Amino acid sequence: MRRILLIAFIAACAAARLPAQQLQLRITGLDGLASKASESADITLDSNLLQMAAGFLAGADKESKDGETLKQLLAGLKAITVRSFKFKETGQYRREDLEPIRAQLRSPGWSKIISSQSKEESSEIYTRMEQGKVAGFAIIAAEPKELTIVAIEGSINLNDLSKLKALGVPSIPVPDKKGKQE
Amino acid sequence: MNLEDELRAALRREDPSMGFAKRVVARAQSSRAPRPAMPRFIWAIAMAAMLVIGLAGTYEVRQMKAERAGREAVMALRIAADKLNSVREKVVRREN
Repeated sequence: MRRILLIAFIAACAAARLPAQQLQLRITGLDGLASKASESADITLDSNLLQMAAGFLAGADKESKDGETLKQLLAGLKAITVRSFKFKETGQYRREDLEPIRAQLRSPGWSKIISSQSKEESSEIYTRMEQGKVAGFAIIAAEPKELTIVAIEGSINLNDLSKLKALGVPSIPVPDKKGKQE
Repeated sequence: MNLEDELRAALRREDPSMGFAKRVVARAQSSRAPRPAMPRFIWAIAMAAMLVIGLAGTYEVRQMKAERAGREAVMALRIAADKLNSVREKVVRREN
């Protein structure tokens, strides 16, 4: 009897965790592209690293408004994943390479809010809403010589995000996109 | 008494008094120097120094990790903002 209860408890715990795992976007199937790219960025930040980043940025830029805006923006985030590739020539990736990511974005919870398709390129923006707020955000920008996937988990204000460029972020030295990120 | 007899008398073998060995041992034990407190103190200083060095090292590593995370977060958000604006612009252009 005790064993049955234990198995039931483990199963219940696993079931409770499943939706969150399914909703978290995993960027897979793009590993081979880094070797073909002339420039690439591979950034994965979990909640711990984001907290550290927010603390560092707030401390590094106490005087300006940008540091505070960044801190606020990062405060609601749980994870950021960016994969960006720039190629010298076209045809270095296939549309099918993006299918595992698109398949995840077709699952319940995610909805496509903006889509721009042409013969050569496609751009899509997806959001995941929770209680009327953005809880997840994804961009797939596929151009002939550039491919960028962004997945952000957590509450984020897209208008604040789009304003980042206008704010002149960053005020601390940031490495160029040149070279591969570890 | 000539000199030879005097020397013999002075250097003649004499047995120790009763309890001589015990008294020697007791004196030796009582005069043993106490263990100096210095080594223990040195150990405490060494441990404190190691702790400080360890904490400073951990802080340094954490700072470096935070700095790197900060740079990557800025870069990630910059790419995200750039792409978000780019997609929005494309959609607006197409609608116009």
